Order: sequence, then structure tokens, then C-alpha cells
Amino acid sequence: MSSEAKIRNYILENYLFTDDESALDSADSFLDKGILDSTGILEVIYFLEDEFEIKVEDTEMVPENLDSVNNIVSFIERKRQ
Amino acid sequence: MASLPTTLFDHFKTTVNKYPDSLAIADNKQRASYQDLFECVGKISQYLLESGLKKGDRVSLVITNSVEYAAVFYGIWAVGGVTVALNTQAKAKDIINWVGHSDAKWLFFDERHPEFKAIAAEIKSDIELISVGRGGSDDQTDRVVSWQQILDLTAPVPTTSLIPSDLASIIYTSGTTGHPKGVTLSHGNLSANIDSILSYLELTERDSILNVLPFYYSYGNSILHTHLAVGGSLILENSLAYPHRVMEKMVNEAVTGFSGVPSTFALLLGRVNIKDYDLSMLRYITQAGGAMAPALADKLSSALPGTELFIMYGQTEAGARLTYLPPKMLKEKRGSIGIAIPNTTIEVRSKEGTVTQPGETGEICASGKNIMQGYWKDNEKTAEIIKNGWLYTGDLAHTDADGYLYIDGRSSDMIKSGANRISPKEIEEVIQEIDQVLEVAVVGCPDEMLGEVIKAYVVLKKNNSLEKRVIQHHCKSNLALYKIPKTIEFIEELPKTASGKIQKFLLQK
Repeated sequence: MSSEAKIRNYILENYLFTDDESALDSADSFLDKGILDSTGILEVIYFLEDEFEIKVEDTEMVPENLDSVNNIVSFIERKRQ
Repeated sequence: MASLPTTLFDHFKTTVNKYPDSLAIADNKQRASYQDLFECVGKISQYLLESGLKKGDRVSLVITNSVEYAAVFYGIWAVGGVTVALNTQAKAKDIINWVGHSDAKWLFFDERHPEFKAIAAEIKSDIELISVGRGGSDDQTDRVVSWQQILDLTAPVPTTSLIPSDLASIIYTSGTTGHPKGVTLSHGNLSANIDSILSYLELTERDSILNVLPFYYSYGNSILHTHLAVGGSLILENSLAYPHRVMEKMVNEAVTGFSGVPSTFALLLGRVNIKDYDLSMLRYITQAGGAMAPALADKLSSALPGTELFIMYGQTEAGARLTYLPPKMLKEKRGSIGIAIPNTTIEVRSKEGTVTQPGETGEICASGKNIMQGYWKDNEKTAEIIKNGWLYTGDLAHTDADGYLYIDGRSSDMIKSGANRISPKEIEEVIQEIDQVLEVAVVGCPDEMLGEVIKAYVVLKKNNSLEKRVIQHHCKSNLALYKIPKTIEFIEELPKTASGKIQKFLLQK
């Protein structure tokens, strides 16, 4: 499964409570669209650290890295380089 | 400290005259001086007058923390209107319900509020909708007044004479859909409470705060008014999702104050190393909105040795604040919520109504000018909670020999999760709507970060099955994000007493 698919499934299952792919656009802002709140973002970080074996540093906790599926996918790619 | 003028609006006007060029509020889009803010207040009040507002009329707003929020709020007060600031996370159904219950004839809303379409489609046609923001909403219809129309108005701020007993605000606390609880606070209530807070925090025009708390809750509301009353500055950050950004902003803006609920500090201490940031300007921190574990207070104090930590306690029904623990007593009175704030009297009373002895648990009761007038249009509920001028808080506590208060629990089953006070009944009603559900009980379970998280115990009808996520999806469609149960457990039957009352305490274990 691709990184994007893994992240999408996680968000769909745990925060949108559905497997309907159309419920989430990969560009949707988690905060603006009310998909996640601040504790939700933290849970996503724990998920990423676990699933992709990365460490998200304090300074990396910014919306540019974490506020949408697309942002997370690019962030993980950068971390792996 | 001298008493404030009759109303917070009078005081705000004085502040504008004294510090016109000082920074009042900075949000993510703009930095408004007191003069800027006052000009915007004038335009809003002019618009409201032109559209027929009379003293005492209610005006609702669903606006995230911003310069515009404060301008609308004070614009309503300028013409004697009553503010009804609503939870921006609420669903359309709740917002429409509160607007209807308060008989508000105006609704100011964020131009990009996700529920706007649903609100505009369902809300009564005689309610004027005003879109707030400079971006222009995609969803606007002909009936919506644009922000630009208001900004184009030119008029001085009108003068309305108000007395302390005039109603200033209605704040809806959690309640079920059928029975919203609107706390009514007069100008005198708010002014008295703000006066008390100012005296113990010793706030001045030199103070600035990084504010992460929503203004529509009473804690955030008091932060807004205390700062505007003295000429201080509010730096707004509307999300704690990115703690590093919050910390950086505190450093860059050299703020002198920061306020949070226990989960705010759990989140910050858990995710950033506070010692990495230069917070030498940070004079004080306040904490309210639920009991903070003494260990968390210890951690916070040791991370910020040069900063005073004020532990506080209050209720919306008291304007915001009831007690505070002077920072110098933090160690000696570890775990205490302190003593009554100035101009408020607190007693711990037994079920029989007598004042308890030190060490004996009873209910926290309070009297003072800050205590609300009552619940909007609900004399029965008001009579249950205010008796002979005393507010019965529903919170259980004891005092020590010196009169310091220690919380022992709550007599109501309200859930406190993060900054939110949540009615289990409201969630139970929503889950009960699902066909397969026979009965449900919702409780708060202890959580290190949020204080409590919501758990639903569900009993299904015979020979039915249901996925947990179907329940959560139904909740997401009908409830604000923070009200969705984190965990769901299916059980055969709910524990009940012989008379059939659900024994929730057994479910919380």
C-alpha cells in the first residue's frame, strides 16, 4: 500500500468513520475542514512515527507538513531522503 | 484598585482615549490598534442601529477569535444590544436552536464557516445574516449582508446609557437540544468579575497575552475583556495543533501572559521543550477550566521558574471566575484551587445547607456581584441553582484549616474534556437515534491529556449488529467534533439500580 493510501485510510477510518473515499480530498485542510482538532493532529503524529518509523521534531510540527494528506505525503518523502 | 466604570464598554472607550495607538488585537491577518478597533466598533453599531436594533435586543455571532470578533462584540454593546456568542465548532442544528432560543434577530458569522449553507437554508427568514471577513464567502446569498457593506459605513460610535442590571451577554453552556442553557450576565456581573480578576492579576497596559482560548467560552471571554479594559494587547493563535508555532509566537511577541486549561499545558509540556524558548518576558500563566493534576502544575512551575502560575476556578454562571490560588502559595497549598477572588464570597455547604468544617466535603456555593441573573427563559433551572442569592455550583470540595479550597469532585455528570464542558445526555440522544440501539450511556473516562475523554456504552436491540464507526459517523454528522465518543463499547445491559437508574459510576471505572 502506498504512503498516501495508508494515511488516507487512517484518516477515513479514525476521524471520518467511513470507507467512502470521496469523503476526503487529499488536499483538504484537516483544521479548516473540521476533520481534526489539536489532539487529533497529535494522534496523527504518533501514527506517522509508528507507521513510517520517523521522528517528527518539534520544529517540524507545522501545517505545511501536517495539515493535509498531500502535505504529510511530501513531508514523509522528504524525511526519507 | 479603583472600581471600573459601570460597563466594560465605558471602560473600553476610556482605554481607547488613553491608548489609541497601542496594539489592541493581533490575529493571523491584521494588527489592530485601539483606534482601529474603535472605528470598526462604530461601523458595526451604526449598522445595527440602522437595521432597527433597540436596547436589550439579542445579536448572535459565530466568529472565530479575531479582531472582527471583538469589534462585533463591542459594536453590539455600543448600542445596548445583548451579545450571544456561539460555539464556532457547533453544528448548524445547535446554532439555529440557540439563535431561536435567544430570539436574536441578527447572526454574524465567519464568511467561511463550514455550516453556513446549512444555517442559511434552515434559519428563519427574518433573521439578518452578516458575513464577517474580508475574503468574500463563496456561499453568500442575496439575504447576506457583506462585511464590506459595514466597513463602508462612516459614523461615530453612538452613546447608549446602560445601568449595571442591563443584560450584556447570553452564553450558552452545554445542554440538550430541547433545553439549551443560556447563562445571562448583566453589565454589572461582567464588570464586577473583570474588576476582581484585574486586581489579583495586576494587569496593566504593559501586558500582552498569547491567547489560544475561544472567546465564546467564559474563560476566553474574560481574557478578552480584561485586556481591553486596561489597554493591554491580545495576540491570537487559534489552534494548539502546532505547539512549536505557539511557543515561537510567544517568544517573538514577547508576551507577558498565557492562559490555558489543563490540556493546553499537558499538550505543550508533552510536545515541546519549554526551556528551549526564551520566555523571560512571561510574567504570569493562568490555568482554569477544570482541575489540573498537581504533578502537571509542578512540571509547569519548574519549566518556568521566573513565571507566576495562577491556578483558578470558576463557572460561566459566575461571569467566569470564583477563586484563585496566589502563586506564592502554590507549593504550600499544592492541589488547591485557592480562595475566593476579591468581592466574591465562597462557602462550602453540606446537603443540609450548613457550612462544612475543614476537611468535610460539601458543595461550593458563591455569592457576589458576578453571579449571573439566571438562565435565559428558564426560571425553573435558575431556581435550582440560585437560592437566596447564592450560586450552587454543583462542584464538591472541602477547605483546609486556612480556608483554602480543594476540589473533591462534581455532583453533576457533565464531562470536561479539554476546554469543553459536555452534556452526556446530548450525546446519548444522538446515539439513541440509531435504529439498532436499544439504550446507551455516555461517561467521561480519565485521560492524561484531555482530563476526560468520552466513552459510550451501547446496548443493541436483540439480533442486531452495528459497527462502532457507524455510531461515530452518526455522531460526527450531528455533533461538534469534540463531542464524538473516542471509544465505544457494546455491552449486554447497562448497570442499573432497583429503580432503573443507570449507575454511571460503575461505567467510569
